[in-house]
Amino acid sequence: MSTNKRKLLNRYHVVFLVQSTMFGTGVLSLPQRLSSLGYSQALFPLLFGVIASLSIWPMIWINSKYKNENLFRINEILLGKWIGKSINLFIVLQFTLFLAAIISSYMNLIQTTALPEQTMTIPVLFFLLLLTYIVNGGIKSVARFCIMAFFITIPMLYFLRWAIEKGEMSHLFPLFNYNGHEFFEALRKGYLSILGYEVIMFYFPYIVNQKKAYKHALVGIWISIILCFITTIVSVLYYSEWQLENIEFSVLHLFKAGEFSFIERIDIIGITLWIFLILSTAAGYLWSAKKGLDSLRSKKKKYHVYLITIVIFAVVVMPISHESQKKLFEGSHYVGYLLLVWPIFLSVVHILRKKQVQQ
Amino acid sequence: MNKKGRHVVLVKNLKFVRSTIGVKYQKKAQSEVGNSTKAEQFIKDLKNHTSKMNDVIFKKIPTSESVVTVIYSSSLVDKITMQLMIFIPLANHLNQIHQVAEVIKTTDVNGITSKLISGQTLLYFHQSNLLLSIDTYSAPTRSITNTETESTVIGPQDAFTESLETNISLVKRRIQNPMLKNEERTIGKETNTKISILYIDNIVNQENLERLRNRIDHIDYPAYFDISVLKQLIEDNPLSPFPQYYMTVRPDTVAYYLLDGRMVVFMDNSQDALVCPTSFLEMFISIEDYYNRWTTASLLRMLRFFGFFLTIMITPMYISALTFHPEILPYELLLNLQESRSKVPFPPLFEVLFIELIIEVLREAGSRMPTKVGQTIGIVGGIVIGTAAVEAGLISNILIVLVATSSLLSFLPPIFLMSNTSRFVRYIFILSAGLFGLFGQMLAFAWLITHLLRLNSLGTPFMTPVIPRKASDLMDSIVRFPMAYLKEKMGISRSQKK
Repeated sequence: MSTNKRKLLNRYHVVFLVQSTMFGTGVLSLPQRLSSLGYSQALFPLLFGVIASLSIWPMIWINSKYKNENLFRINEILLGKWIGKSINLFIVLQFTLFLAAIISSYMNLIQTTALPEQTMTIPVLFFLLLLTYIVNGGIKSVARFCIMAFFITIPMLYFLRWAIEKGEMSHLFPLFNYNGHEFFEALRKGYLSILGYEVIMFYFPYIVNQKKAYKHALVGIWISIILCFITTIVSVLYYSEWQLENIEFSVLHLFKAGEFSFIERIDIIGITLWIFLILSTAAGYLWSAKKGLDSLRSKKKKYHVYLITIVIFAVVVMPISHESQKKLFEGSHYVGYLLLVWPIFLSVVHILRKKQVQQ
Repeated sequence: MNKKGRHVVLVKNLKFVRSTIGVKYQKKAQSEVGNSTKAEQFIKDLKNHTSKMNDVIFKKIPTSESVVTVIYSSSLVDKITMQLMIFIPLANHLNQIHQVAEVIKTTDVNGITSKLISGQTLLYFHQSNLLLSIDTYSAPTRSITNTETESTVIGPQDAFTESLETNISLVKRRIQNPMLKNEERTIGKETNTKISILYIDNIVNQENLERLRNRIDHIDYPAYFDISVLKQLIEDNPLSPFPQYYMTVRPDTVAYYLLDGRMVVFMDNSQDALVCPTSFLEMFISIEDYYNRWTTASLLRMLRFFGFFLTIMITPMYISALTFHPEILPYELLLNLQESRSKVPFPPLFEVLFIELIIEVLREAGSRMPTKVGQTIGIVGGIVIGTAAVEAGLISNILIVLVATSSLLSFLPPIFLMSNTSRFVRYIFILSAGLFGLFGQMLAFAWLITHLLRLNSLGTPFMTPVIPRKASDLMDSIVRFPMAYLKEKMGISRSQKK
């Protein structure tokens, strides 16, 4: 197999890896998270897009200085072995929690919509088994899965048709009707939905055309952003302001507006098909977490994937209250923001320690 | 001088001649004796060695040069060939034999026997101690007939036979190109089966070729009766339910793939040819698509391709809709289904498994029976069991329709192995739908996609061109563009020429 080669990812792989890791369960509740803006949220994802395009630049810059190293190694090189490794441990833990959060929220969704009469333990187990199967194929397998996931799920956009038909155009105006506090509230809550592109710092060494990586990543980011943009616009059209604030997975309910003579609840098909998007997001993170564990222990072992998976499984099915679980996951989300700022910090360290490191 | 006097002179002369060359004569006679003992020894050895092989015939024939023993295996060589190639030339023009025959230098009895069992005739010249072999292999072969497994309406109708030479000649008749190379090998230490790797030297990807040679050289398996055994041994992922190489009995298909830069393996005694590498999509492509108009061809291809996904989804859908998500069906449809299921005491999963297995049994029984009985059993069994099972309340009416449709759909792929696979994969989907409903189905679907993505065919991704490798491939994928657009070779063959 071609996994022995170092450079694996061509431009399509990069575009869709970036795109798919961004596009997970976050989108389902994006309109609710932005609800402090009310109807004015419609254009907000575009702003997210701008922020994402700017914040990915330092990531690629610091990576391009160390062409054959991922962020875990860069941490060790720049900050020394011990500090670097403890930071890496922290990142691995954060990723594990983040994965648990994604999977748990999706599984809760499945339980409420598709399988109301079952406990989720065994489905979670099967889900994780499949996830490890994808990740075991290496980053190229993950990237290919991302491409397929995109093309398999993109027809779901068609289901928005009825929501647009039934929607109210006047909801869109006025466009900028909010104050500063509401703006930051929406930014804080909503930006979580589009996190995921930072994983590029971990698979960057495998990219063939590293010089154009920024461009390809941007394409990926903007595909996701446009999809988010469409969903928020349609949500704004379709829902009332009260509904935007109180319906948890509003995008899912957009599908329900659909009318076929042979299928009543398209949303169930939609949410089960969403498994592709969740798998592609989770696979990117799990692969990175596995790489982190590899670098922590300074050796490559296949069981590292299983180790992380077992931890995820334990976190997802652990018998603590839904509330505290939610708090834990929220916490891990906010830590995720740190990872956006981290490359800027690293870049500063790099400039300061340039000569020392090069020696 | 009178008569008597002349006679005396002659006798004197003769005596003189005898006395002068007598020594030579004697020597020659002695060496002849030596040779003949040697020859007898050789024949004896060979006879001992082949004593249990009753079809080996030793025939001593005096010729103008010397005594020749003709040794051959009567079951591999027919009488007319013997007559034409050996006996008539031996009696009349010995030099003909020398022109055709090959000199064997080895004295190893095992090596000589192996020539015999490959159908060669050995000629042993007693005086000169010379051993020649002539290829007279003339085992009975089937004549070229129509394809039964891959029949088409348009296009050539001839199919490969079990003879390696015939198969190669059928391909060479289509591609008259000096670059068409043919590498022969012998594999299987018990059967010594001949195989042939065909490729066009200036089109084929050399790396692929090297990989194929390498794989064939490194397998260690004693006996081959069909190329499908070899196929399973050299596949990238033998544990997968999916066939990773294309198999065909059609010479035109083989010629098409050769020109595209693939390699084809033939095996003696095997009707199928192995084409590698191949992609998942090509499992749904029949050569007839290129003979049809592009509209029809595209329509049929779409049917076959999406038929694969339908056949693995229809019956699981029934299970998950009835077991887990009755709310996805509109009220009228649900009512209809419930009415038809009202007499059925089993859960949908068992209902589906029951009827699917009955169809498998019918199919298997039908294919193993003599043709005339098989068809009757198939039709009668299908109708009788179907109707009776519904009336007995074992299964619902609607399910019969769904199962029949899905099993028909599973026979759409032109490759039989692929339709077997689709039926196998369907059971995975049925079970996962029985476990988790639609979620299980999608989980299984994600597994299927991942599995297909991870598969390789001779080191090339199996999912080409879905995972884009070459944009021009898309013109000849699920939709077949008009012929004028299909000039480029497929990306999967990584050919030297574009």
